[in-house]
Order: sequence, then C-alpha cells, then structure tokens
Amino acid sequence: MATVLSPRLHARARPATITTVSASEVTDGTLIEQIAAGERSAFEELYHRYARSVLGLALRRIGDRGRAEDSVQDVFAAVWRSAASYDRKRGPGGAWLYTIARNAIVDAQRRKPAPTMADPPEVVSTDLAPDEEAEASWNSWRVHRALETLPENERSVIALAYFSGLSQSEIAAFLQIPLGTVKTRTRSGLARLADTLEGEL
Amino acid sequence: MSATPPRFDDLVAADDPARERLLAAHELLIAAGPQPELPPELAVAPVPPGARVVPFARRRFTAVGAVAIAATVLLAIGYVVGGRNAPGAPVQTITMKGANAAEATIDVLAQDAAGNWPMTFSVSGLPVLPKGSTYTLWLTKDGKLAESCGSFVVAGGTTEVPLNAPYRLKTFDGWVVVKTGTTQPLLTESA
Repeated sequence: MATVLSPRLHARARPATITTVSASEVTDGTLIEQIAAGERSAFEELYHRYARSVLGLALRRIGDRGRAEDSVQDVFAAVWRSAASYDRKRGPGGAWLYTIARNAIVDAQRRKPAPTMADPPEVVSTDLAPDEEAEASWNSWRVHRALETLPENERSVIALAYFSGLSQSEIAAFLQIPLGTVKTRTRSGLARLADTLEGEL
Repeated sequence: MSATPPRFDDLVAADDPARERLLAAHELLIAAGPQPELPPELAVAPVPPGARVVPFARRRFTAVGAVAIAATVLLAIGYVVGGRNAPGAPVQTITMKGANAAEATIDVLAQDAAGNWPMTFSVSGLPVLPKGSTYTLWLTKDGKLAESCGSFVVAGGTTEVPLNAPYRLKTFDGWVVVKTGTTQPLLTESA
C-alpha cells in the first residue's frame, strides 16, 4: 500500500535540526588527516558535520538551490582529493575546509553556467556587497560549527530561540523545564559561543 | 517567513557583567540564521571519488535475499487476506519525532475523486501555545516548506485532527511541523 505515494516519502529520514548530534571529541583536523589516509568513516563523519554548512555556503554564493545542492558533492569530492594538503600547523580543520569549499563552489560555478532566463533558477537573494557576503558566509560557517560544540541542553534552547522563533516561555513548555532553566541555559550557551568565537568578537 | 529573533534584553540582565560579549554572540547568531535542511539526496555522504567499494559477500546476499523474498511473499499474502479494501484504512502512515519525545503520526487516507488526500494527524508532546499561535503541517520540497496541509493547536495529551493535502504528493519529499510563521521544524519524519 505504501507505494501509492512516493517511495521517497516513505523511506527517507531527516534529522531534526534541534536534535543535531553532539560534538565529537575528534577534531576536524584529525578527521581530515584520517581522510588523507583513505579512511572512509572519517569522510562520512566530516560530511555529517559540515554538509549543511557547505550547502548554506553554496546557497549564499550561487543562489540557486539545485545548483547549490550539486556543488555539495563537488566540495566533498575536493575534500577527499585535497585532504593530504591539510597541515594542522597552519590552522584548524574547519578553516581549511571552508577554503576548500569556497574554491570548489567557485569552480563549480565556472564549470556549470547559470540557467537561462527561460528556466529561471530558484534564487536566494541577498543585498550584500561581495566582501560583505564573504564575511557573512564565514561568520555563518563559524557560528554553526561553534553551535555544535555546545552541550546539547544549551544548543537546543539556542536553536529553538533563534531559529524556531519560540519565546522563552514556549521553549520551557516544549522542553518541559522551568523558565529559569531556559534563561540560564540560554545565557550559558551565549557565553560559551562568545568564548568559542572570541577571535571574531 | 523567517523566525523573529529573540530580544536580547529578554535573555540577558541589564547588569550582566558579560553583557557586551553576550550581545556580540547574540548578533552573530541572528546574522548566521538557520542552516538549510539537507534534501534526502544529500542525507548520506557520497562515495568518495576513487574509493574502493567493497562488494557485498555473495553468500550473505543469498541469505539476505532469501529472507527478503520470504518477507515479500508474506506481505503479499497479508495484503490479499487482510482487507486491502478496508474503508478508511490509511494508504500510508508517516511518523514524526521532535525534541523531548514530541511525536506525531500522519495516517494518509485514500485519495478522493477530486484529488484530495484526507489524513488524520495525531500529535503529542508539543507545547501548548498562547492564544492566537498555531502549528502548521507542511509538505517540503528540496528542503524548504512547500505547501501547507493545515494548522492546528494542541491542548496537552494527544491531539487528533483531520487535515488534508490537495496536492500531488509524489512531487514533494517530506513533511515537517513548524510553529506557524516560522520555518524551523519542530517535528520531522522519523526513520
């Protein structure tokens, strides 16, 4: 009976944003070094950490959703090919990956020209100048990576407050915790984010 | 339809000694915005270029294949014997999950002659919203909210409401529940 609808509706599973996996102890840099040694599991772990960030970056730069999704695969193919070039003495893995992603997305844009006006793309418009856009992309990249390093109880209240539009009272009801706990975790999460992003603040 | 960011003054006390640093983090969060949801096609890491694909052992394939065939036969028998034409029986059931054990079930019923997919939506664990606020069940496409299937409110316990999807369902790729007016999923499909 299930075949009445699209099999994709039945078979797929998408994790909720508010239940993202907790931060692993393995650093991004270590994963990249393991990828350089051909470890597929490290590649998959890095993909799960960064696929959404890469898609977000591609959407900001390309605008068109379909082409941005195509470029995610291009980025991770480049990561696999270039992992041996990573040198942890020159910076953290996340920054290296950002550079690889940005370059791969630019290359993908060059190889695959934008659709004609007869087939207009689904564009995410921004009003930022190119340098502002680049800075916004990098900030977004770092903020989301920093968010994943927060303890789950802090990350969930931050995500619900900033990305789901729930008030502090609604978050308290949703998570069935006292309002004061929501406020404490929010403040604590903001402080931890500020620490992590210290170089930028 | 983006979420309204929280007011900083509601989050941090006016005399908080770290107020300036916290404000900077607050502003960065707002500027960053939510990340896009991955479409199903990107849910799994791609096969790295040049990576060796280990073939499934033939002996294991044979065993797994036999089990799969047996299961299919049993399913077919059950389908024939067990009331495929039962009126009101769902043609598909979708389960959804969210934080803090919130969950929902969508029982999609047979399509009517006009093209509607009536459904029974059963949900528990979502917080009771203030008067005037609602939740909405959406069909998604390419990771974005595409078509609304209706709004609802909850009052604790399990809430069951009839909803409808007057769309070609096969053109969509998922279901989510959001607080109306926002885009961040509170419930998403579970495996």
